[in-house]
Amino acid sequence: MISVKNLYHSYNKDGKYQVKDVSFEVANGEVFGFLGPSGAGKSTALNILTGLLPLQQGEVVVGGYDLKKVSNERFNKIGMSFEQSNVYSKLTAKENLDFYRKLFDVPTLDSHTLLKLVGLEGKEHVKAGEFSKGMKHRLTFARSMINNPEMWFLDEPTTGLDPSIAADIKDIIKEKNKEGVTVFLTTHNMFIADELCDRVAFIVDGEIKLIDSPKNLKLQYGDKLVEVEYIEKGEVIKTTLSTVLPEDKRELQKIIEHHDIQTMHTKEATLEEIFIKVTGRGLV
Amino acid sequence: MIRKIWAIFRRDLKVNLKDSIALYILFIPILLAVLINLFTPGINETTVGLALLEGDNTSQVNYLEQFAEVELFKTVEQVQERVEERDATIGILPENDRYYLMTQGNEPEGIVDYAKIVNSFYELDITIEDTNSELFDFERTVPPFKKTLVNTMILLISILGGMLIALNIVEEKADNTLSAINLTPAGRLTFVLGKSVIGVLLSVIGTIALIVITGFGTVNLLQLLLVLLVTSLLSISVGFIQGLTSSDIMTAAGSIKILFLPLLAGVLAIEMLGDKWQKFFYWNPFYWAYKGNDLILSQSGTWGQIFMYSGIVLLISGIVYLFLAPKIRKGLE
Repeated sequence: MISVKNLYHSYNKDGKYQVKDVSFEVANGEVFGFLGPSGAGKSTALNILTGLLPLQQGEVVVGGYDLKKVSNERFNKIGMSFEQSNVYSKLTAKENLDFYRKLFDVPTLDSHTLLKLVGLEGKEHVKAGEFSKGMKHRLTFARSMINNPEMWFLDEPTTGLDPSIAADIKDIIKEKNKEGVTVFLTTHNMFIADELCDRVAFIVDGEIKLIDSPKNLKLQYGDKLVEVEYIEKGEVIKTTLSTVLPEDKRELQKIIEHHDIQTMHTKEATLEEIFIKVTGRGLV
Repeated sequence: MIRKIWAIFRRDLKVNLKDSIALYILFIPILLAVLINLFTPGINETTVGLALLEGDNTSQVNYLEQFAEVELFKTVEQVQERVEERDATIGILPENDRYYLMTQGNEPEGIVDYAKIVNSFYELDITIEDTNSELFDFERTVPPFKKTLVNTMILLISILGGMLIALNIVEEKADNTLSAINLTPAGRLTFVLGKSVIGVLLSVIGTIALIVITGFGTVNLLQLLLVLLVTSLLSISVGFIQGLTSSDIMTAAGSIKILFLPLLAGVLAIEMLGDKWQKFFYWNPFYWAYKGNDLILSQSGTWGQIFMYSGIVLLISGIVYLFLAPKIRKGLE
């Protein structure tokens, strides 16, 4: 599990904090998302949890390791996929993974298996420098699984990827989570958070504003609406009605009884709408 | 830890063998050795220079001309000026009824010994038929100039080791892979050691290739290895710092050339300057490394001397490292 208490971080150590009094816990096997706009402090918090940034203030325990006590052993349990691809451009895909395999003290996954998993089968002997941005990202993502991590940190795992690759990445994350891997991801994409996360934390200006499951947030903050398109006197009419208000419910019943319905959708609030409602800020 | 160090070294080697600049650096020692062999004279072409007073002792001049290149000067001051010039010419001057040797202080030991012997031959009336002017007695098979070049190239190769490390660090920076390495159990010390191996190996293997090709293969390799390793410490430290502060390969390669300056200063001080100037170069680790290597190449260095010179180089390099270590640590974060 991950336990964070009263975490603060200032890059310049000048009292201006990029992460302020952040506290939360992530249970084993949970998918936890940090949702916030660029510059909100998501990556700073993630980099402290992984050990890329030093712990300045607060208490952080990751996978049973207290970050105040330096131990390289903990990296055997951690996997990290970076937002920006970072692979050796002069080495082939296989050479990249083979090299990293040798740096761990635990059994690692076979390079070929990993490349197949991320759709890079047949590209084993191609230099990473010749890869497209999406292929490099997949190689970086594959590398993060090399040591079968118990704690998997994903920084903007699908940002900048085309939809089909993003879908593949999401499927892999779901599959790994089913196997019991704890996932901590940062994103400013509410669809990713909604689809993958058991719980999300809204973070703005380095502070957590709210933590809950996407379902609870929608129940708590979303409006229960239905969007209907029907034909009246030869014209297509589009209207949005509440499923809670009595007059709207009556109106909806009337439309169904007296008109041809073209389309009808329930319209839940999106996480983005809830985010804006709660924080007063957009996600971009 | 050893397994990880080896993995980091093998990765660097694999990348270096694919990179033209790195490949060039890897093969420079062999190229240098071949060039030295091509352009330096053999031992039989080397002459020992003696400076004498004109008109002082014609028979002595005639006698010595059989064994060495003799130059004549009108005054003792002129002889002294000649002795102080760049090469290893030795003055033979009268004092009372005997002759003494005037040296600059930086002449190779063998040349001084040779001058002493031929002068003694003259004083003992030994004729040419009784003598052999080959440097057989000193076991010298190579000329001093060649030794100077080889010694300088040994130091240059250690700098090239640092340059190779800098290139590999720049590559890590360009690909942004340091952060990925930092999230493995390898640790920073393992990474630094792994990255250093290729620089040290280039220095060791390159130097061995150089001395074998240039005919110095019979020197005490353990002594040479000791001086090489302590000299490499300095090059490695500078290689890391230049790699971490340079944005591209060409900048790194260019900036590490800063080490050529103390290297040349050390060599020129020993080869060209008199005793009174030497103390101004004591701060320079290359100065001491050159002295140590000179003894090793002459096969006249005792372990005590080599330990002393290595110790001085280690001390100076250690001070440089202590100064650079915080910057290296920060750069690797």
